[in-house]
This record gives sequence, C-alpha cells and structure tokens, in this order.
Amino acid sequence: MQMVAYESRSSVNDIQLITRVVAGDAAAERELYEMYVDRIYRLAFRLAGDDELARDFTQATFIRAFEKIGSFRGESSLSTWLHSIGVSVALNGLRKTKRQRNREAPMEEGLTVGSTRIEADPDLKERLARAIDSLADKYRTVFVMHDVEGYTHEEISGTLNIPIGTSKSHLFQARSKLRVALADFAPEWAS
Amino acid sequence: MTEDNFEDFLKKAAQSYNTPPARTPRDDMWSAIQAQRAAGPHVIYGGGSLTAQTPARRFGSRIWIGAAAAAVLLLATGVGLGRWSARSTGPSAAVVVGPPKTGSGPDAGDRTPETVVPGGTSGLASTQTGGAGGGEALPPREPLRIDGTHRPAAFDGTDGKVAVTAPSLNSSSNSTSNTGNSAYQITTVRHLSEAEALLTSFRTRSTTDQQMDAQLGSWARQLLSNTRLLLDSPVANDPQRRPLLEDLELVLVQIVQLSPGSTPQDREMIEKTLRQDHVMTRLRTAIPAGSQRGS
Repeated sequence: MQMVAYESRSSVNDIQLITRVVAGDAAAERELYEMYVDRIYRLAFRLAGDDELARDFTQATFIRAFEKIGSFRGESSLSTWLHSIGVSVALNGLRKTKRQRNREAPMEEGLTVGSTRIEADPDLKERLARAIDSLADKYRTVFVMHDVEGYTHEEISGTLNIPIGTSKSHLFQARSKLRVALADFAPEWAS
Repeated sequence: MTEDNFEDFLKKAAQSYNTPPARTPRDDMWSAIQAQRAAGPHVIYGGGSLTAQTPARRFGSRIWIGAAAAAVLLLATGVGLGRWSARSTGPSAAVVVGPPKTGSGPDAGDRTPETVVPGGTSGLASTQTGGAGGGEALPPREPLRIDGTHRPAAFDGTDGKVAVTAPSLNSSSNSTSNTGNSAYQITTVRHLSEAEALLTSFRTRSTTDQQMDAQLGSWARQLLSNTRLLLDSPVANDPQRRPLLEDLELVLVQIVQLSPGSTPQDREMIEKTLRQDHVMTRLRTAIPAGSQRGS
C-alpha cells in the first residue's frame, strides 16, 4: 500500500484503518465494518425494500471491499468508495432478482400490474412507493439517496461517479415524474 | 412556493418508502461475511444470507465436462464403427501391383522386382530397390497396395499395370462375384506365368553366374510375396491351385535363400524339388493357352 499516493480526501483515520486492514488485521476489518455498516445497510434496504436482499447486498459490499481494499488509492473518501460498491452491488443484484421474479411470475399476476391498479389505490403511501419503484434506476437512486437518506449531491456524485449537475438533473427528473404520479394528491401539498 | 411545498411534502412522504428496521443486524451480517469469505467469493442474492455458490458451479462444470467427454466418446465410437463396417462389409480396397520391369536378357532374366509392400497380417513386408549384387537401379514402378484382407491384385490388361478393385468375399451380387472371380483368375494366371518365367530362367542360368543368382533371388522374393498373398485369397480355395501355390512357395523360398556362396548341392536340391513335384508341368497346365504370359 502506497500511503503517499493517498490524496487528502481520505482522512488520516481512514488511511490508518485501511493500512491495518491490508496488513490482515481482523480487528481493523471489524472496525471498518462497524463504522459504515449502518449507512450501507440502510441504503441497501431503501433500494431493495427487502430485509434479506438488503443483508445480502450489505454483506457482498463488505466482502468485495475487503477483497479490493488493497487497490484503494484514496482518490475519494473511504465512505464514498464503500458506497460506490454498495450501490453497484445493490443495483446489479436488483436487476438479477427482477429478471428472476419476472420469469417466475405467473401470467395472471403480470396482467394485473398496470396503471389501473395504481390509480385505484387511494393510499398515498402505496401510491408513492409504486411511483418511486417505477422510476428508472438512475432517477430512483439519486432520489432515494438525496430526498430519503439525505446524501448531498457531492456525495451522490462521488458514489455514482457522475457530475454534480447530473445528480441534480436526475433528482429534478425524479421529482417531476413523482409529481405527475401524485397529481391526485396536489391539494395536500398546495395547502 | 408550490414547488417548495411539494419538495417538503415529498421528502416527508418518502420517508415511508422502504423503511429499514431501526436496528441493523450487524452481528448476523458479520458472521455471514466471515463464513462467506472462508467459503468463497460467489453469492446468491435473496437468501437472507450469503450462500456459497461454489458447489453448484462445480456441479455445472462437471456436467459440461461430462457432456464433452460423452460427445468425444460417441464420436470416437461412430468413427470406429464406420471403419469396422467398411472393412468387413464394404467393397474391397484398391490393389495396385506393378509388373516386373522387363529388361534385356532371355525371358527377362535380369528383371528386378523393385517394391513389394504387402500389408497387414500376412507377415510379408519386404522392400527392395534395385538389383541385388550390384544390379542397376530400375525406374520406380507402381507399388503394390493391399488392405488387411490381402486380396490379390488383378491385372487390368493395360500398359502392364495391375489396378483392380477386388470384390468383397461376402458380395451377394452375381455380377460383382463374377467380376471378382475374373479378377482373381487373371491375377493368378499372370502370377503363375511370371513364376514359370522365373523358374525357367533359374534352370537355364549359368551355374557360375552369381550376379544372375542375386537378381533371380530378388525376383523370387517378389513372387514369394505375391504367392503368399494369393494363398490368403479366395484363389487358394481352389483344390488344384492351392497345392500348386504351396509348392511354388517352397521353391521360391529356396531360391530366395540362395546366396552367392551357396553350394551346387543347394541348387540341386531346388532342381530336385522342381522335378519331383512337377512344378513346371503343373504351372504350364494351370496357365491357359493363349493367355498373356508374364510380361
């Protein structure tokens, strides 16, 4: 590990922790895990909406991080690097499970999934959840990270490896789509 | 103002979206991580814990390896069966026999068999080039090629070469069978004619001409090979032809074994065999009148 290659974005504590992990210090691994597991798990759960999937994504994130941490060069913060892995693992895992569930879904169930059923649901919570689920991954991820989990555009930009302006644009697009989807509830936010 | 209200409303409402449990299952996930790192890198999503995928992948690899091995085995079996059936039931292989080169001298006495390549199980595998004892090399001729069944060649009657496809022994076609018998008949007559020419040359040679003995030995070696091939062919089923071929084989062996230092008694023994067994007479009788003789 070339410590001199780290940039200032990685804190001294991160560098020391990474150095110990690379050296094979099991306690350092556990320490790193404890530092970031809550945020990784919460984000995974927000994206997956399922505890088992969220656990799997979180575990896969840390396993991959421990495997790749030797190549970490400190070009971003350790938190951003970990979240990049976590979001990538979650989105890829969701695509796989979505394909699998689509194959396993019976024909009748597939026919019932449509706008008619969404519009028939008067509950705002359910309506919003379906609307968010229907967003494209790039919009949904930015929306969940910013409006739900409170990440800044800088953090989102580093995690998703996109410009800040793109993050803001994606958030704007997501909100616009959700506004249209929740038009029936306009009196609630207009008042 | 309405836009800001919507953002606030959306942020509040979105907090209910996929709400995670208040307590993160840290220990459970850490145990699963440790187990998975010890087992292997592959994971299956949706099981609640990381599940090693290595056994399944290994099983899948074994399936592909087994399928590939089965395909190779099937292909090899097919090729083997095809070759086996072609040998046992198919039309026989081509047999090409080149005639002895006719040189100067009485009755081709200096002709030298050049190449005889019998195949397979006959035990014959002699190849000679040029005359023994310093005879000059002759131009290459068509080699004798025969498959494992040792069916003899047939004379095609053109430019002194023999290139005939011998028929199958199990052929049910009368026309094919007749053609095959004719081919064997022609081959046998030609061979016997050559043998007669050789034996005549042997009996009329000078007893002191060792170079002639060497050339006759080479010639006899070729004829010996063809004699044995005929003995392994349907020609030997003829009750009259087989004894003749066997006696001829014996005489040819004696001539082949003659060395430049052989004694007159050795030559006399050959002469005696020829006389006692009436080999020359039987040879001439076996050769139909008017047939082409050993050219």
